[in-house]
Amino acid sequence: MTQAFRLKMAKQKAEALLKERNISALPVDPFAIAADSGIEVRGKPDTAVGVSGMLLRHGDNFGILYATHLHNEGFERFSVGHELGHYFLDGHIDHVLPKDGIHESHAGFVSSDPYELEADNFSAGLLMPETLFKRELNRRRPGFETVEHMTGRCRTSLTATAIRCAELSNDALAVIISTGSMIDFCFLSDAMKSLPQLSWLRKGSAVPAGTGTARFNTKPENVRSGERLAQDIDVMEWLGGTRRATVCEEIVGLGRYGKTLTVLSSESIGQDQDDDDQEEDDEATAERWTPRFRR
Amino acid sequence: MNEPQPSEIFKERLKTAREQFRKWSQSDLAARAGLPPSSIAHFETGSRKPSFDTLRRLANALEVTTDYLLGRVDDPALAEAGDPLYRDVGKLTGHDREIAKDFLKMLAERSQGKKGG
Repeated sequence: MTQAFRLKMAKQKAEALLKERNISALPVDPFAIAADSGIEVRGKPDTAVGVSGMLLRHGDNFGILYATHLHNEGFERFSVGHELGHYFLDGHIDHVLPKDGIHESHAGFVSSDPYELEADNFSAGLLMPETLFKRELNRRRPGFETVEHMTGRCRTSLTATAIRCAELSNDALAVIISTGSMIDFCFLSDAMKSLPQLSWLRKGSAVPAGTGTARFNTKPENVRSGERLAQDIDVMEWLGGTRRATVCEEIVGLGRYGKTLTVLSSESIGQDQDDDDQEEDDEATAERWTPRFRR
Repeated sequence: MNEPQPSEIFKERLKTAREQFRKWSQSDLAARAGLPPSSIAHFETGSRKPSFDTLRRLANALEVTTDYLLGRVDDPALAEAGDPLYRDVGKLTGHDREIAKDFLKMLAERSQGKKGG
């Protein structure tokens, strides 16, 4: 089973759980689901930094502890969803059961541990279920405003929501997180991926010099104070490739998180049917662009 | 020297509890645990590993503890009492460790409460 497939299954497991419980409206309440499953949930004191979440077991009783020090509702809900993933996903009994009955998870991880990634994808599927999310997403114009709207609807973090938008948007959308002059990660919607011969923005590569984001990030105060900027730009400045097209580049400083969110969007790219002659191999593309959710 | 994974022990214990303790068929157990009939066969052959949620449902239906199904105790009626979870809590750092301990104590009291009531 490929990793991309396992992660998809993890999301679907969460969505199946919602269906079983007749949950058909946003926002989904992970605390209620935990309570309903007989799992005690408690926030750690906000003075405690440490791990973002823990699943604990004593005998037949289960509990979740989650971090509250960031005072970020989206982060907390995602953390609880992540621990629910460890509880509901098949096979996690082998991963999360150290001898002491405690499983700990780390925040903002770039973990490559497949179990942690599965739990993240479960949480994304739980809080941003495909059908409900898409219905709401795809009747709006692509761009940051829509990401923000979906954040409000799902009560999830801006970053996690932006990634889900790129994953499920019918429009051309790129979501890029950067720190200073460096790319942390980049996700493209299917329509954006339809552009021929894109050069992939890898983790650790430089923010392309001609972009608004590169200029924005030269001033750390832009990031800290949550400045916003929008401009039109040729998509080739960002993603290379061989086809010129104008996209809107929206840039947002993420405050004390220290990172910058960039959303590139276009309503015209990838909407014509005849540009499939130069498409990448689907399987390779899926593997390379499998989202790693951050909270 | 590899210890067997919890899921390895689980498949044996599940079968023992179902066949020897309860004398149920696989579909009897599935019905009582609210699971699809084919799932028990998958769990017993090890082709599917359970989630904690499924583990708990099966333990409830079979009236054994999850600790028994996981191979942590050999008596089906026993939860891992004694020195439960305070072992190895050392892996967590300072504050988290204290918080986790308190929380586990509360969960332990809940188990006691259930037994008492």
